[in-house]
Amino acid sequence: MVPLWMYLFVAAALFCIGAYGVFARRNAVAILMGIELMLNAVNINLVAFWRYQTPFVMSGQVFAAFVFVVAAAEAAVGLAIIISIYRNRRSVIVEDVDLLKW
Amino acid sequence: MQLPSLSELNLGLTVPALSLALWACILLVIDLFIPRDRKSVTAWLAAGGVVFAFIANLLVYRDPGVAFMGLFVADEFAGFLNIVVLLTAFIAILMSVDYLKRTGIERGEYYVLLLMTTSGIMFMNSANDLAVVFIALELLSIPLYVLAAFRAPEERSEEAGLKYFILGAFASAFFVFGAALIYGATGSSSLPVIVDAVGRALAGEGSSLLLLLMGSGLILAGLGFKVAVVPFHMWTPDVYEGAPTPVTAFMSVGAKVGGFAALLRILLVALPALTVAEGDAVAGWQTATWVVAALTLILGNIVAISQTNIKRLLAYSSIAHAGYVLMAVAAAGTPGVSDQATRAALIYLMAYMFTNLGAFAVAMAIEKDDGSGTSLDDFKGLGRSRPLLAAIMAVFMLSLTGIPLTAGFVGKWVVFQATIEAGLYTLAVIGVLTSVISAFYYVRVIVNMFLEDGEGDPAAAATPYVQWAIYLTFAGTLVLGIIPSLVTNLSGPVALAVASLVP
Amino acid sequence: MEATGLSLVTVVLFLPLIGFAIMLFMNERTQAGAIRWTALGFSVLTFLLSLGLWALYNPDDPGLQLVQRINWLPDYGISYYVGVDGLSLLLVILTTFIMPVAILASFRSHIFEERGREKLYYLFMMLLEWAMIGVFVVQDLVIFYVFWEVTLVPMYFLIGIWGAEQRIYAAVKFFLYTMAGSILMLLAILYVGINAGTFALPEIIAAIQTGALSFPFDGLFSTQGLLFLGFLIAFAIKVPIWPLHSWLPDAHVQAPTAGSIILAGVLLKMGTYGIVRFCLPLFPEASVAWAPTIATLGVIGIIYGAWVSYAQRDMKKLVAYSSVSHLGFVVVGIFALNAAGIEGGILQMVNHGVSTGGLFLIVGMLYERRHTKAMEAFGGVWKALPLFGAVSLVIVLSSMGLPGLNSFVGEFTILMGTLGSNILGFVFALFATLGVILAAVYMLYFYQKVYMGELDKEEIRNLEPLHWSEKAALVPVLIAIFLIGLQPAPFFRSMDASVDALVRHVDESVPEVVVGNLQMPE
Repeated sequence: MVPLWMYLFVAAALFCIGAYGVFARRNAVAILMGIELMLNAVNINLVAFWRYQTPFVMSGQVFAAFVFVVAAAEAAVGLAIIISIYRNRRSVIVEDVDLLKW
Repeated sequence: MQLPSLSELNLGLTVPALSLALWACILLVIDLFIPRDRKSVTAWLAAGGVVFAFIANLLVYRDPGVAFMGLFVADEFAGFLNIVVLLTAFIAILMSVDYLKRTGIERGEYYVLLLMTTSGIMFMNSANDLAVVFIALELLSIPLYVLAAFRAPEERSEEAGLKYFILGAFASAFFVFGAALIYGATGSSSLPVIVDAVGRALAGEGSSLLLLLMGSGLILAGLGFKVAVVPFHMWTPDVYEGAPTPVTAFMSVGAKVGGFAALLRILLVALPALTVAEGDAVAGWQTATWVVAALTLILGNIVAISQTNIKRLLAYSSIAHAGYVLMAVAAAGTPGVSDQATRAALIYLMAYMFTNLGAFAVAMAIEKDDGSGTSLDDFKGLGRSRPLLAAIMAVFMLSLTGIPLTAGFVGKWVVFQATIEAGLYTLAVIGVLTSVISAFYYVRVIVNMFLEDGEGDPAAAATPYVQWAIYLTFAGTLVLGIIPSLVTNLSGPVALAVASLVP
Repeated sequence: MEATGLSLVTVVLFLPLIGFAIMLFMNERTQAGAIRWTALGFSVLTFLLSLGLWALYNPDDPGLQLVQRINWLPDYGISYYVGVDGLSLLLVILTTFIMPVAILASFRSHIFEERGREKLYYLFMMLLEWAMIGVFVVQDLVIFYVFWEVTLVPMYFLIGIWGAEQRIYAAVKFFLYTMAGSILMLLAILYVGINAGTFALPEIIAAIQTGALSFPFDGLFSTQGLLFLGFLIAFAIKVPIWPLHSWLPDAHVQAPTAGSIILAGVLLKMGTYGIVRFCLPLFPEASVAWAPTIATLGVIGIIYGAWVSYAQRDMKKLVAYSSVSHLGFVVVGIFALNAAGIEGGILQMVNHGVSTGGLFLIVGMLYERRHTKAMEAFGGVWKALPLFGAVSLVIVLSSMGLPGLNSFVGEFTILMGTLGSNILGFVFALFATLGVILAAVYMLYFYQKVYMGELDKEEIRNLEPLHWSEKAALVPVLIAIFLIGLQPAPFFRSMDASVDALVRHVDESVPEVVVGNLQMPE
């Protein structure tokens, strides 16, 4: 069987890739995707921990399910805000959104 | 697997928080039938919901317990913070009614979202499981993202929403990743179970300890974003400036209360025994919070000096005040002082709530309909045109500075006392020195109001609702400052709240 | 010490606040005169009641008298705890004495024509009086800190709203300076209180005397030394002890006349009083160890203040720097650490309040008439207003320390104390005496420039005679000058018991050999 640490490793890598995406991408939608990647990394972790450590208690799985839901809700709100900005400025590049100093 | 029966869930205890969320959903429908020009009805209905939750909370308060099989605790700690949050929500609604009207963004959804996020904060206060903390965190954050962008298509507000969203979602991801690691290290996400597992993990192999440390570090970072402490503070000034002012006011208090509630509960219930090395007397996170608190105090107060916009100034001041609360959190890492330090944090939050909401309310009164007029120069001459309003604002500023006979002094006092008791002398000295720095920029507001002359009446927008909000917070600031025993009493509400958290 | 019932001290303390509340509901436009009179009435009433304190006070009892104690924050060991003893009685009376004088001095002031807001002005005066009396009567460290900080706020506004051209700069400087010092004191207070388990000063001192509580001392910068400094720096800024004095000339020059009178008359005394009340009994070893250093700074202040005074061409600046010089005297007296030095110090605080308050009063009156503070603009005032000139001469001579007038008594006692002290000794007394001589130089220079000389200026010849309210303000000052100068015995007697107890406490805490040989453990 695949050992636990491999899952953790993949999850950590995914999390870092997501975080990199948030910092490096200029397109707001791409940043949103980075955040989704990070949340998915969490899911891998949760499910792996559940399977390997406490397979008879459901809490890890339930936690993962909640993370899906939240990720979906966040994406919905995030996209709504991005669309509203796009309507106004015809751009979703975060550097263009600079009325306030960062 | 045996499913619990409905009576075992103890749903009654969740009524305060749950009723608010439900009422928000119902209000969304009711709002459809309220004509466009009479949206203040929605505001009153929303305020009614807050009052109901407030009363329900007082009832639950008297009979604490655990609901949802241990996921949700309705203890005095949650009860006390719920009071703070519900007061915040009520005052925010008072501030909003006329503001929304005159800035042309009067829509019923506003109040629905406000109730939603309030309910999220209340869940946060009660959450006893990392998963619930996460859900509550999102229930608190997502409506706030929308509220921050509520003046859309006004560009600055949209921008505030986007920034808050990106950094908030990013921080949530950190938090939940940390929660997953702690779950992995201890095999449970329930806080009271974790505390036992931490002991075993420390005694056992090193890899669990590593996961635990990484996990708690990530959780600290995630919640640090929410309460805006250095180095996770970058979003604060932009979002505070761009968001509609009542939202900023609510955010500056409500989100912080929720964040600190979760932080205190996680650190003190789940991780008090988390020590880095064998034989350490203090919790391993004390050093981290210590350093973060010191950085927050220094940066928040120093950068605030150069601000010229009252909303940005209050944003940096709110960063600084998060630093003072964090001082108390750091002190709580010393066993034996944790109860006193927690008490200090709660008292500070309450004092800060009144004062900061009041300051924002006055700032809102001088704001123009188009969102301009929030620079410090706009305060000039307020002392002449509106002596009472200016005097009250002066008291708020003095309270934020920590001058005696105001709530702010009592807050600082208990925080410094806890810090010294915990032996963190350097941190205490940093705390007082930065207080002196803070006097510099708070006093400047007073200078502008009383000592400089301006033209006309800057506070044309001080409508009756806003004035009520100001009087309410002013009364709170003074009462807390003059009769602090109301909250500092050892058998009083705060002490009970602490006792329910720290055994 | 009975602690129940209403103490007269509480009445005296809260009377100004009652005046404040009444004035709050008066209308500025229609009742301007009534506001003025209410303020004066309450301040006079407070003064009369504080004379009642003197009558009720038993000078043979060294402890606190007329005590009242009410729990404020019982769980933190904080209580509203007031009372007077020999150290504070005179200063309470000084405060209540100066306030009516300052209010009378404002009656005819031009500042309201320029800036208005007369009601606010008197409201702040009442608030200030309340806070200042509070500083002198409370015996709880925390409440003391509360009053200490509260005095800042009204004074800040008095300078900032009704001051001269640079008022905002001066007000902010005053605020930040004082706050920076006092906030360190807050930490020291916390440390002391947490270790003692109470914030009530008499209980803490009792614990130190019985040995139940002690702050480790082994060198100037040990725990006790640092605590001592925490308190001392706050007080030193207020006094101000050289080199922390730079806020004072700005504040004095910019403040309105009444503000200067109160600043010089009472606020500065809060610093020296704090040293006597808190630093000495709480940290006896550190006080002895630091005494030579602080007294040296005091001596530098005496000479420096006098020297700079002499160089001033602005009357208000001259008087302001003379304060630095006079307060240096008080500091030297206190750190002589014997009964004569401390008693002289306390009496000199009162004397300085009266004399310098009087000086600011006459400078204010001159300024009202000519709208300038430059000495060149005057000359020959004596001939224009002979009575005013005579009164001014008395006040100037009093400030110089002429025998028979009040300051002489204080300065002489301080010099005796310094000579008799086994910590300070001859050299300090020598330099302090030099200060007396210099005082005569700059004071006479001032008098000669302004009052003497030919009546060659048209404006001086037409100088407006004194208004009745100005005369009324000068009379009590003159009475006090002669009373203390000719009958000092009762004043000393009121302090004897308490000061003796204090000196004994300090001596007993420090081994005899150590005091005698000045050998402090390293």
